[in-house]
Amino acid sequence: MVLEIIRDVLAVSSTAAFLTLILVVCEGLILNYGSCEVMINGSRKETVQGGKSLLSSLQEKKIFIPSACGGRGTCGVCKVKVLEGGGPLLPTETPLLTKQEQQAGVRLSCQVKVRGPLAIEIPEELFRVRQYQARCSRIEDLTYDMKRFTFELTEPDTIPFTAGQYVQLRCPPYKGSREEVMRAYSIASDPLENRRIDLIIRRVPKGICTTWCFEYLREGDPVSFTGPFGDFYLRDTQTPKLFIAGGSGIAPFVSILWQMKHADDGRQTVFFFGANRTEDLCLLDEMKAFEQALPNFRFVPVVARPAPESRWSGQTGLVTEAVQRSFERLDGWEGYLCGGPGMIEAAIRVLRQMGIPDEKIYYDKFA
Amino acid sequence: MKRSPSDIQLEKLLRSSKLAAGGFMGDDPRTPEEVIREDAACLERLGKTAAQIAERMRMLTEKASAALGNPVQLEDKFEVRCEEWKGGLICPWPHPGRFPKRLTVCRRLDTGRQIVWSDLNIHLIEAHGFFEGKGASYRLEPEDLVRVLFE
Ligand SMILES: Cc1cc2nc3c(=O)[nH]c(=O)nc-3n(C[C@H](O)[C@H](O)[C@H](O)COP(=O)(O)OP(=O)(O)OC[C@H]3O[C@@H](n4cnc5c(N)ncnc54)[C@H](O)[C@@H]3O)c2cc1C
Ligand code: FES
Ligand SMILES: [Zn+2]
Repeated sequence: MVLEIIRDVLAVSSTAAFLTLILVVCEGLILNYGSCEVMINGSRKETVQGGKSLLSSLQEKKIFIPSACGGRGTCGVCKVKVLEGGGPLLPTETPLLTKQEQQAGVRLSCQVKVRGPLAIEIPEELFRVRQYQARCSRIEDLTYDMKRFTFELTEPDTIPFTAGQYVQLRCPPYKGSREEVMRAYSIASDPLENRRIDLIIRRVPKGICTTWCFEYLREGDPVSFTGPFGDFYLRDTQTPKLFIAGGSGIAPFVSILWQMKHADDGRQTVFFFGANRTEDLCLLDEMKAFEQALPNFRFVPVVARPAPESRWSGQTGLVTEAVQRSFERLDGWEGYLCGGPGMIEAAIRVLRQMGIPDEKIYYDKFA
Repeated sequence: MKRSPSDIQLEKLLRSSKLAAGGFMGDDPRTPEEVIREDAACLERLGKTAAQIAERMRMLTEKASAALGNPVQLEDKFEVRCEEWKGGLICPWPHPGRFPKRLTVCRRLDTGRQIVWSDLNIHLIEAHGFFEGKGASYRLEPEDLVRVLFE
């Protein structure tokens, strides 16, 4: 009896072992795509292990395609042009690609599996994107819900960036958040002093990354980020420029103003900064210093609802109303916007009405 | 009822912290399907539908968002304020759904009761009948919503 049981058990387990072996062999044969060559922009050749997504294969080669959903095919940020290979367009991709993009071979790199040789095209500036290690050297209160964080770079020790660009900060797991996430933050420091970056971060109630920054991150701690990304930068035209920001939207303009100061920029520039209350205003001294350094630059803080005791004597109401009050028309101007999506939409409507065409209104595409 | 692999996959994502701190399920031991079913039953008892609730939330959010962060009084009943951050939030269901990072703070002037929701909450309720699991940071109780939005 006992022998029979042992024999049966052995028979079952050896069958299971045999089946597992077949599975492993099949997996090796069927799913092993071996090494695959990815030709990038017709000049750079990378050899990657087949079977993974194009997004993660490129990342292993230190080519960082921006992504906002971690490769789930829902953000549409990871687009690349696939010229050869890549297989048919997947149903997960079509809703996020326009007809023109589909015709031009644009794909979501997180959905394309590397199963053979590929030829792709990506913007050259993505080759400049690196992963950086840094140390948080200073945390400074700007308002009750905004702080400025300074990160001194350790590896590599300099970051070349254009004023207006952003980085993706890695927020590690902490109590209450079990996985690493990445969040975008505009660089708010002098592009010439590129051994460090400053970020201006506004707290989000119960937000993953801002809770970590405000409650867990300390001066001296290591941090890591990738970048620089983005095509929000000051256009090299002689046109007068209007900046509009709210809250932490001030961040990229600090960097842009440093760039203008170094270039001794004489172009007419007016910066409207919207706050709900006087407590939301920040960096007033720094803005005054830029006004002194740049003769054609004017900073206009606008407080929507100043408390009587604050004795606010500046502009009041919505930032868009202040723009409408200050100019009759803005034909021939360029608009640069940074803030929440509602503010951006409202500002676009106003600037359009006042004569700035859409192609002269700039803001971060993923705002 | 047997759960499909996609239900299991979705639950894994709803319980992870990838998209929202602490996830969408909190410490709720029920499956997302059970959470949705039980909240639907609760709504039925209250005589409202998820679509009606979402529509009312959206209307208040849209009216308040024009004030760019400042509070507005609506219908002599509510004080509503929208706060915004840059960036978008993604629906955890497998379909393209991207929403602004915007919080609406809605307070009843008569009772002082307050509810806070994001644009993603409106979508989760409208498209998926999902009010999030018990203990999740952004869980909205159907009873509270009905009390504040309709009574
Ligand atoms: C190009 C770019 C540049 C940026 N630059 C800056 C900058 O310079 N400074 C800055 O402060 N920010 C900046 N941001 C915004 C930043 O990337 C983050 O979006 C922001 O800091 C919030 O991140 P968080 O992880 O703290 O919040 P999240 O965890 O992403 O939460 C944000 C909001 O999402 C909603 N939410 C979260 N979880 C749930 C849930 N379970 N159910 C319902 N709703 C939920 C809530 O409304 C919450 O308030 C930038 C964004 C972009 C795209
Ligand atoms: S990474 Fe979000 S769609 Fe590909
Ligand atoms: Zn959805």
